[in-house]
Amino acid sequence: MGERAPQHVQNIVIRDYCQRNGFKYSLSAAEYAMEGSCHILEQLVSQLDQYDGIVAYSLFQLPEEKNIRLGILGRVLDSQKTMHFAVEGIVVSTFADLENVNMLWQIKKFEHMCPKELV
Amino acid sequence: MYLSDEHIKLAEDFTKTGYIIRPIADNDGLARIENIFRNAITKQLDGVQIGDLSDWLNKTHHHVPVDHLNDFRLEIINAVNSNSALRSSYFDLARPYLEALVGNELAMQRRVNLSIQYPEDNTALLPVHADTWSGDSPFEVVVWVPLVDCFGTKAMFILPPDANEVLKRDFVNLSRGNSERLFEAIADDLIWIEIKRGEVLVFNQTLPHGNRVNTENQTRWSMNCRFKSVFTPYADKKIGEFFEPITLRPVSKLGLDYELPKI
Repeated sequence: MGERAPQHVQNIVIRDYCQRNGFKYSLSAAEYAMEGSCHILEQLVSQLDQYDGIVAYSLFQLPEEKNIRLGILGRVLDSQKTMHFAVEGIVVSTFADLENVNMLWQIKKFEHMCPKELV
Repeated sequence: MYLSDEHIKLAEDFTKTGYIIRPIADNDGLARIENIFRNAITKQLDGVQIGDLSDWLNKTHHHVPVDHLNDFRLEIINAVNSNSALRSSYFDLARPYLEALVGNELAMQRRVNLSIQYPEDNTALLPVHADTWSGDSPFEVVVWVPLVDCFGTKAMFILPPDANEVLKRDFVNLSRGNSERLFEAIADDLIWIEIKRGEVLVFNQTLPHGNRVNTENQTRWSMNCRFKSVFTPYADKKIGEFFEPITLRPVSKLGLDYELPKI
């Protein structure tokens, strides 16, 4: 959702998050640049048995389409793994967390409709 | 507007002066918060005997050397923010005033800030600023809660709305390129906010405010946290990374989730 800090900056933020939380940073992965792509994310989720979880730069890099977004997060949880979002410091480790994340996303999508002035 | 007399009074006070000071709305909440601080300080200072908390906080400059102050403050901030009761208790201190001034579907800053200002210490100063000058949304307010009585230079200052309008009309000339000159230009118009422990300040952070060297002989401890309506525009402090909804209503949740049938 427009979260486009330069990739090397995103990497720094993710590595710092891993270091602060005592995670071993195993693999860096960059999503395809095409609008709406989650090919790489899908691949990571399918390989989760090899890792403890996924750290993403920002919550708002998840797919915009709600069912796809929730599907990915649901599969992470079904694998008994966690997903972390470094900028926001948010962790999805339970289905309650998933609900919370979805609410933040829904609000974010409506932000552009919030009135700046009364007419 | 269909507002109660009480809400009208709050709105008038806030609009006229740029802030309101009222008794905290939940004494149990303040007690919980003070207990969180007591435990955090005791743990950080290895079993120190605190006694009366306010009295100890006022004399912190006798207990923690100034060159350790920032590390101490950060440890305490981290410790209190890790307590799951802190934010809800903090919100309860000002809930009715926030609902009157901002709305009843609120987003709250995800961490409560802590300020500790020693007597004669110039390392913890906030130059005069309006939060909107550094990217905050004008739709935010700050809830500021002292843990000790604040007065004189132990307090914060704010520029009232009328004087702010004068400043805005001639900002370049009045500020003359730096924040100290800006302070000098507005010093005579500033309000130094006297507030007691047990009271809460809600202020308009689009108005210039800050602090100066504390020339009183007591340490100031105060907390601050931003609130805004969930559905007003965000600026650099965004939903998720900085703000979190705390009182989203069911109809709003339904609306956010709603999709038309697909054809």
